[in-house]
Amino acid sequence: MSRTDVLVDADWVAAHLDDPGLVLVEVDEDTTAYDKGHIRTAVKLDWRKDLQDPVRRDFIDRHGFEQLLSRHGISNDDLVILYGGNNNWFAAYAYWYFRLYGHQRVRLLDGGRKKWELDSRELVTAVPERPPTSYRAPEQDTSLRAMRDEVIAAIGKQNLVDVRSPDEFTGKLLAPAHLPQEQAQRPGHIPTARNVPWSKAANDDGTFKPDAELRALYLDEAGLDFSKPTIAYCRIGERSAHSWFVLHELLGQPNVKNYDGSWTEYGSLVGVPIELGGPR
Amino acid sequence: MSAAGPPGQPAAAPSGCAAPAGGVALTAAAAGEAVIEGQVCWDGAPVTTGYARLLDDGGEFVAEVPLGGDGGFRFFAAPGSWTVRVLAPGGRRLDETVSAGYGQVTRVELAI
Repeated sequence: MSRTDVLVDADWVAAHLDDPGLVLVEVDEDTTAYDKGHIRTAVKLDWRKDLQDPVRRDFIDRHGFEQLLSRHGISNDDLVILYGGNNNWFAAYAYWYFRLYGHQRVRLLDGGRKKWELDSRELVTAVPERPPTSYRAPEQDTSLRAMRDEVIAAIGKQNLVDVRSPDEFTGKLLAPAHLPQEQAQRPGHIPTARNVPWSKAANDDGTFKPDAELRALYLDEAGLDFSKPTIAYCRIGERSAHSWFVLHELLGQPNVKNYDGSWTEYGSLVGVPIELGGPR
Repeated sequence: MSAAGPPGQPAAAPSGCAAPAGGVALTAAAAGEAVIEGQVCWDGAPVTTGYARLLDDGGEFVAEVPLGGDGGFRFFAAPGSWTVRVLAPGGRRLDETVSAGYGQVTRVELAI
């Protein structure tokens, strides 16, 4: 898989906005961002309201995903281009989510909303109308998603990649610093995890660094063993979806899972091992 | 940090990893936080399209928010030294070093 199979740049999107069979989808951390202005022809997915089960802590089921995409006028054969704010955190999460439910033709806009804005490209407020479709999805591809027992079993055996900031890894902060720090769970990280912050994979404008630099980041700097399976985690699974994208889609590592339960689950479990401080 | 919705309903504001432009509003619950906030201006007017990012004392990325409608931003940090980096269209960029402490609101005015 080459980079162009999973990633498009802003010039490409600007030139293909009106292509039939192409659907732009914005997914933001700030779920009001789309309403203030979005790329023309883009529809919105709300990572919380649309992608999470309204009662249980889990994703919507297969039927719910089918209904969601049908409602937004997305067909099985459509090429879906995802983009969003905050360096594509939630766009990468949605990308991973789409792949989880078997959508094959999906790409990320490199740099996402930030690069588009910093380039002073057009944003509009008019919401496009797309006729409903009859989307069909398979059950989740569990080879892409790690659950808590698998994570605990992977301690000391697989690559565990904590993609949060060093201050979250060591336990100094419990959340990214644009959010209050009052969460009740314990700080720290999963023992044997390597700290490779997601931000090391991106340039300041949110675009991904070249493959050679990414490979050096994980292999030479972090010392990952690519012959072993890898599980990435963060706090709620969106930053680790960004790193999953790098490892699985850009670098082509075949056995990489995202642990979307991440620190908000692991750091609240009773009886599991936790380490504080820097890497050992 | 965020207002809870009615019982059984989603919270009115997200309680997870989701911040509005400019950052999350201060509430009474945030009184013990180490807050870094400020405003970005250019030629005397607020910069409303751009980003503020927070770097730790080792230069590592910690957080980023799009600037609010008044050019404002807010972070919830920890005691210590931090760098606020502003990114704006046209390749404009500015770094400012600030200190934070629990129970304090460190305010910084940035002109790019």
